[in-house]
Amino acid sequence: MGAALAGYLIFAVALFGGWELAARLAVADAELLPPVATVAAILWRFMHDPAFLGDLELTAAEVAVGFLIAAPLAVSTGFLLGERLHLAETFNPIVHFILAVPQSIFLPVFILAFGIGFLEKVLFGVTHAYFVIVVNSFAAVRSIPPPLIAAARVFGATRAQIYTRIYLPAMLPLVLTGLRLGMVLCIIGVLLAEMYASRHGIGRLIFTWGEGYQVPELLAGIVLVSILTVAVNEAMRLAELRAGRFYARVSAA
Amino acid sequence: MNAGIRSLVVAAVAVAAWEAVVRLGLISAIILAAPSDIILAAASDGAVFVRAFATTAIEIAAAIVMTWTLGIVVGLIVGSSHTLASATTPVLSSIFAVPLIILYPLLMAWLGIGPLSKVVFAVLSGFFPVALNTIDGVRAIEGRYIAFARSVGATRLQTYARIIFPLALPAIVSGLRVGTGLVVIGVIVTEMLASLGGIGFLISYHRTLFNTGHVYFGMVLALLMAVAVNMGLTAIDRRIGLWRMREENS
Amino acid sequence: MQIIEVNKLGKNFGAGRAHVRALADVSFAVEEGRFVTLVGPSGCGKSTLLQILAGLIAATSGEARIDGERIRAPMPDKIGMVFQDPTLLPWKTALANVEFPLDLRGVDRAVRRKRCLALLDLVGLREFADNYPHELSGGMRQRVAIARGLAQDPRLILMDEPFAALDEQTRTRMGHDLLEIWERTRKTVFFITHSLAEAIYLSDMVLVMSPRPGRIIDTIAIDFPRPRDIDIIGSEAFGQIRNRIWHRIAQAQA
Repeated sequence: MGAALAGYLIFAVALFGGWELAARLAVADAELLPPVATVAAILWRFMHDPAFLGDLELTAAEVAVGFLIAAPLAVSTGFLLGERLHLAETFNPIVHFILAVPQSIFLPVFILAFGIGFLEKVLFGVTHAYFVIVVNSFAAVRSIPPPLIAAARVFGATRAQIYTRIYLPAMLPLVLTGLRLGMVLCIIGVLLAEMYASRHGIGRLIFTWGEGYQVPELLAGIVLVSILTVAVNEAMRLAELRAGRFYARVSAA
Repeated sequence: MNAGIRSLVVAAVAVAAWEAVVRLGLISAIILAAPSDIILAAASDGAVFVRAFATTAIEIAAAIVMTWTLGIVVGLIVGSSHTLASATTPVLSSIFAVPLIILYPLLMAWLGIGPLSKVVFAVLSGFFPVALNTIDGVRAIEGRYIAFARSVGATRLQTYARIIFPLALPAIVSGLRVGTGLVVIGVIVTEMLASLGGIGFLISYHRTLFNTGHVYFGMVLALLMAVAVNMGLTAIDRRIGLWRMREENS
Repeated sequence: MQIIEVNKLGKNFGAGRAHVRALADVSFAVEEGRFVTLVGPSGCGKSTLLQILAGLIAATSGEARIDGERIRAPMPDKIGMVFQDPTLLPWKTALANVEFPLDLRGVDRAVRRKRCLALLDLVGLREFADNYPHELSGGMRQRVAIARGLAQDPRLILMDEPFAALDEQTRTRMGHDLLEIWERTRKTVFFITHSLAEAIYLSDMVLVMSPRPGRIIDTIAIDFPRPRDIDIIGSEAFGQIRNRIWHRIAQAQA
């Protein structure tokens, strides 16, 4: 635990320290590598700029909507496949095939079909999140140890009780892992779509800054997105851990 | 009718249905290219696409070589030290959550939109899974093998190359699979975003012109590339997997 | 001069609350060409002593010498080792495994192949030269490990409970076969085991170690004629020696 914390600290120091050092030593043009303070100031300005916040909210909305559509659909698909194995035999190969294919390649088709608005971004995010969550939910159902179910039956548990008191805690960790991975992929999908062709959104902003060599703004945007996505990931990971511990307690009982 | 012929018939029927669906206007030709459109695109601009394919292939090859080398070497070194490994693995896996694609505009500003920025981005994408899996593989090696290496007087280099590396190989290879997949996607996607050439560039270019046939042809080529790389990796995986399975069953 | 001289060897691990005194004041000597076994209760420090003799860890106090030279690091050309787990490299054939130490040294290919085939012959596995470890039984793998331990023609072979993972019948047979191999090579062997019967059956001398911190509490010369007949195990003399060792250990544990 201590080593991990030390690792994070050292990484942060090395990253920002190295950055500042390189900027000071004028390794490159001040325009290409501005000091940390400059970028921090820009970031601060952004947080009070309604236009910027508007773009940020739009991206967040696209991600949220995409995830909220994909998650229930995918989890139920995974569960269905897990329960009806004959369906799994047909559909699992398809799901795995799609996962093996780089889905990002289909972005142009999405644009041809749905334009470059909110809907297209959301749908692109949905497809990215969907398949990963299906696979993990499927695995979650299959991971329930039969002795657990048998024991429940012996003790006369009703169907509802079996689902809530036994299936759910047992499956939760894997399902949550799938959701976390789905979220990560959804974010990647939405940002990519915005960068590629869009009028609004953080992805578009960042890409425009890149095209315009506006490095200070660019760095500010990158730092912000990185912090936000890591925060989301860690929050979901925490939930996973909690669920895992809970399950350990339940199964040990 | 044997299974082989049956599959061919099914495939032929599918292609025919696909052609019909577009020709009959059930799905707009702008969204879904008919097989005939794709073939037409290939026929008219085949040479351009082949050149682009070569460009992309070279970028991918270069990125693969660098990713594998960097990832494995860093993984071997970090994995050998318990403190280094415990300190760096959490950081490395947290970075995984960052959508690396947002770094591409920075690379664009710094390195231009030629092959260099693509390769650098691809190496960045593929590095982490390779390194992380290598670290795991090394950490999983039982101490008795290292004790054995010392007892027969193996030098440091010999221990790494002839004992640690082969023992960690199964884990390394699964890292290579994930990492290489990310390298391929990384190159093609960055080509789509901003490039001077390559398959991704052609796909984007033709999309803006609504040449759906060309867009799909490009996508087919890109998918072929991804599949080819994947098949290569599976072949490697299988060779390694053979002795790993033997070991587990013994 | 004795081939092995150990003088007041001590070994401590850890510091503060985790401090462990594994060995204290261990002294003994081994004559060349002898088969010597060390027995003692679990956790008494046998393996630690072996690791010091192998040069894998350093002693805290005292010294160990081979041919008068201090043991500070592994000496692969003088000291060969066989571990409890054969620790064969799974991707190499039996022959390649035996050749491995020589391969590391850059010994010529033809020379090492010839030598190692002869070693495999010695352990009775010539026909299995091209088989992989997973294709061999536990006992066979351990034989390959023994052949490998002999590859560099060392002066001393250290064996850390090499038969502990085998079932009893295989174990007895391996002990018998080991003696045959030993008779032909007459190396000095330093063997560690839990099994008193194994110790007495195999050795010229048995060193008895006390519980932790380990020290040598008894040295017993075993005079049964060689080559050893497996039937001595049931004999009265054998039983007496066994009881003597057993009681010595029990005494020390009290």
